Amino acid sequence: MANNHKKKLDVGKGITIFLFLLPALLLFISILIAPIIVSVYRSMFDWNGFTEGTFIGLENYKELFTSGSIKFMTSLKNALLIAFFSVFVQLPFSLFLALLLGRKVRGEKSFLSIYFMPVLISTVVIGQLWLKIYNPDYGLLNRFLEAVNLGDWKHVWVGDVKTALGSIIVPTIWQYIGYHMLLMYAGVKGVSTDLREAAMLDGATKTQVDRYVVIPIIKPIIRVSVIFAVTGSLKSYDLVRILTEGGPFQTTEVPSTLLENMLFLRNRYGMGSTISVMLIILCFAFALAITAAFRDKEA
Amino acid sequence: MKMKRVVSMLLAGAMAFSLVACGGAAAPAAPAEPAAEPAATETAEEPAAEEPAAAEASEGGAVTLEMWCIATESDSNRHAYEEAIKEMQANHPDVTLNWEAFENQSYKTKIKAAVQADEMPDIFFTWSCAFLGDFVSAGKVYCLDDELAKYKDELPEVMLGNTTYDGKHYGVPTTMNIVGLFANMDLLKEAGYDEVPGTYEDFIKCCDALKAKNIIPFGCAGKETWCVTEYLESVIEKSVGADALNDIFLGRATWNNPDVGAAVDTFQELVTNGYFDPSGAGLTNDEVKANFMAGKYAFYMNGTWNCADFAANEEFFPKVKVAEFPVINADKATLGQLIGGPSDTLAVAASSQNAEAAAAYAVELGKLICHYGYLDGCGLPAWTPYGDTSSVNGLTQAVSEICANAKSYVLFGDTAMNADDANTYLSYVDQVYGCQVNGTQFIEGLAKDIR
Amino acid sequence: MGKNTKRDTFSGYEFTEIKKTNPVARVITYIFLIIWALVNLFPIYFMFTFSLKANDEIFGENIIGLPRNWLWSNFSSAMNTGNMGLYFVNSLLVTTASIAISIFAALMATYALTRIKWRGSRLMNSFLMLGLTIPIQASIVPVYVILSKAHWLNHYTTLIIPYSAFTLSMSILISTGFMVDIPYDLDESARIDGCGLWKTFFAIILPLMKPALSTIGIYAYLQCWNEFMFANVFISDSAHRTLPVGIKALSGAYTTDWGPIGAALVIATFPTLLIYIFLSSKIQESFIAGAVKG
Repeated sequence: MANNHKKKLDVGKGITIFLFLLPALLLFISILIAPIIVSVYRSMFDWNGFTEGTFIGLENYKELFTSGSIKFMTSLKNALLIAFFSVFVQLPFSLFLALLLGRKVRGEKSFLSIYFMPVLISTVVIGQLWLKIYNPDYGLLNRFLEAVNLGDWKHVWVGDVKTALGSIIVPTIWQYIGYHMLLMYAGVKGVSTDLREAAMLDGATKTQVDRYVVIPIIKPIIRVSVIFAVTGSLKSYDLVRILTEGGPFQTTEVPSTLLENMLFLRNRYGMGSTISVMLIILCFAFALAITAAFRDKEA
Repeated sequence: MKMKRVVSMLLAGAMAFSLVACGGAAAPAAPAEPAAEPAATETAEEPAAEEPAAAEASEGGAVTLEMWCIATESDSNRHAYEEAIKEMQANHPDVTLNWEAFENQSYKTKIKAAVQADEMPDIFFTWSCAFLGDFVSAGKVYCLDDELAKYKDELPEVMLGNTTYDGKHYGVPTTMNIVGLFANMDLLKEAGYDEVPGTYEDFIKCCDALKAKNIIPFGCAGKETWCVTEYLESVIEKSVGADALNDIFLGRATWNNPDVGAAVDTFQELVTNGYFDPSGAGLTNDEVKANFMAGKYAFYMNGTWNCADFAANEEFFPKVKVAEFPVINADKATLGQLIGGPSDTLAVAASSQNAEAAAAYAVELGKLICHYGYLDGCGLPAWTPYGDTSSVNGLTQAVSEICANAKSYVLFGDTAMNADDANTYLSYVDQVYGCQVNGTQFIEGLAKDIR
Repeated sequence: MGKNTKRDTFSGYEFTEIKKTNPVARVITYIFLIIWALVNLFPIYFMFTFSLKANDEIFGENIIGLPRNWLWSNFSSAMNTGNMGLYFVNSLLVTTASIAISIFAALMATYALTRIKWRGSRLMNSFLMLGLTIPIQASIVPVYVILSKAHWLNHYTTLIIPYSAFTLSMSILISTGFMVDIPYDLDESARIDGCGLWKTFFAIILPLMKPALSTIGIYAYLQCWNEFMFANVFISDSAHRTLPVGIKALSGAYTTDWGPIGAALVIATFPTLLIYIFLSSKIQESFIAGAVKG
């Protein structure tokens, strides 16, 4: 009898769980999962998007990794590089700012708002601004180098193979520092003042409080930030389009620009789907790996 | 692909452009046409002659048509579209046209997605040759043979070559453009030239003279590869001849042609000799064009659609002239072989509920857009011009004189080739400009990579 | 004078912590914070001056200086010919509705995933994370085909539904970060008090998630407000156009006047900046409120 009762409870609980998940799942499956399935299917076709395609199995995948002219490996390398800098330069800086502002600095609110502003500004503006900075003739960077007698260092920044990728990474990282900072700041502010004060009374310095009290508590938020940073970098697109258009000589292509070229410029819908499937797999693998890494540390 | 894309057009002397040439010189003495001022309303009489036929096609009943185009608010064609549509509304009160304009680059995405989902509007703007060709071969475009037959006298058959597939017509051309060699005459004067040099040797000497005066000869946006092709294609055409280049673009001949390789090397010499602005590699076309207008470069090779913009700038307009690129190899090429042709096109969706009415409407609208676009200096007319054309700006008139002497046209490579090949081609052009590959590698690479 | 003393007492009262630290370090900290603030304010100055210039100044010598001729006409041309007013309202409507739907669905899902123990919750969590991985370009055509088959194009909901779906994973991830911080004892005691799962969610968890709401809202806003790809393809009548598409439509095929684009960008951005500044104080209050309760 007790068993039966428990079962009933379980069924009831199951239904409740299902109902809680229902709105999310409806949206999710109809708008996100269905296209993935379509993409996987289409990735096995040689198809221009308009006519009947021909089924070619995994040929697209083979071509993607072996053909030099598609530049998929270059694009992957670039995206991973952006992700690397994002995780190891951008996030520490964001965390540093969040912790600093979390210490009740005077003008905390104003600083916080200002630091977040670049995120609110359209990438078009940010892109145009950086184009002015990089402009080979009258750009701020070259002018500055000239002024400090480093004229030899002047470059056609976005048009030079050596500097083009760097010219993308710097603004990408800069623009989103505030993005991660705000997320982490919210976490820092969530740490109760009692805890901090208790630690301070025990003689801990502020740095120690941050290191041993605050950071462990906001770990879930940091994990979220890392996942956003990595998946966001792998899917980076806007600034690449504005700053370099994937050039010079396609050395700064990222998967998303290649994907768009294939789908809408080259009319190779099958290959475009292949790239998107690879991108999804990659992002998902990274997201899972990051989650797992954080879980290990927590345990 | 069995589709036959006739691009090369031999204009027998006085065909399409003779009227333009005359119009420029003898406009006031054109008594057959309505007087100058009320041209917009008066010329309405002329298309009215066609009206009964068009009305018949639309079955007399009230029809609502939808149209997508790229004539956004700030586009130079906007005014021509507005005028043309206004006139169409006056002529066809029974037809309601709902039209929407989208930005150029994103429109390519939009229209392709719409074709895939069968959500096309009745009438849509498209580019000729391969862009429209993909839609045609998928059976998504309505054939305009019957409708265009009514306008035989006003629209030369050569102008339909780029939108003819398997002998059937699928598009209404509006304006057309060619590549022009724009020159800042103030800067040329500084180097001791009063005219744009007519031969290639003189042209090179002129570039050297400019360089000696610390003036950069050419401005070219390396970030937008199509800008490089404006130079490269002209050099190739004037080296190997129009027919040879055309055959290659249309896949009738192999890229592996040593003459083309040599021409590419000739182009690369221009780069390695330092005639091009080295900063150009990191600039967009908007930036390069602004530099040219600010007097940074002596020459700027680009589409003749720039005429309207140059003419609108009072300070710059007196300085600028347009010319044809000189012949490099006189054995194979001659003057009058140009890069360009009709590309801006209106087409009708096969899925349209009122395809017949839409076809009639699109053809007449295309004619009017062409008319007003030419008056505004947005391009050259694909249709035989009518009415008073004396108000067309001087630059555009100079271009139409060049075209009046045209022997053949080769359409821009990236428009002529199918989308995949065009992008492969562009990536090789990019590498030529950056001196990553030489002429031989260029032709061999393209011969291998273009399917 | 009066001002000075006032400020001193103020800082003495509230900023005792900082006072304890080395004054040199404090000065350095402030210098750093102020320099970084200037770096981040510069784009706003740039955008503003950009919006008042003509092409020759935007691309010429005077790229970052004040405009020589203040072209206020850029704004009127953006408003009148560009129709930015309507697009702004459309964007506002679409974004607000998307955020609301996304937050609601996300909070419910997060509750089920983090605060109810069941087998497969982890798997479901990973499954929902898939949403972070999907490149928006790849889903345009499939989603477009679905919407077109359902005859569901050119409405506000044509954008609202996909937007809320695309922000969903992010919202779930952020709210998970917050929700796991709420002590589980609360649920326990609620259950002992006889609250069911629903009541626990609405009466106990939701109020505590208030600080998270604003955070999720901001991040969802960022994804929707500037979204261009879907808005470009799914909406074909200008009555339902959103700002990013409207701004893009200001550039022509052959020639582009950048001044009105700058003006349109100012129109699109400044109201949100102002709202953000206004809200951010509220947001911070909510953070602090959350901290006290937590």
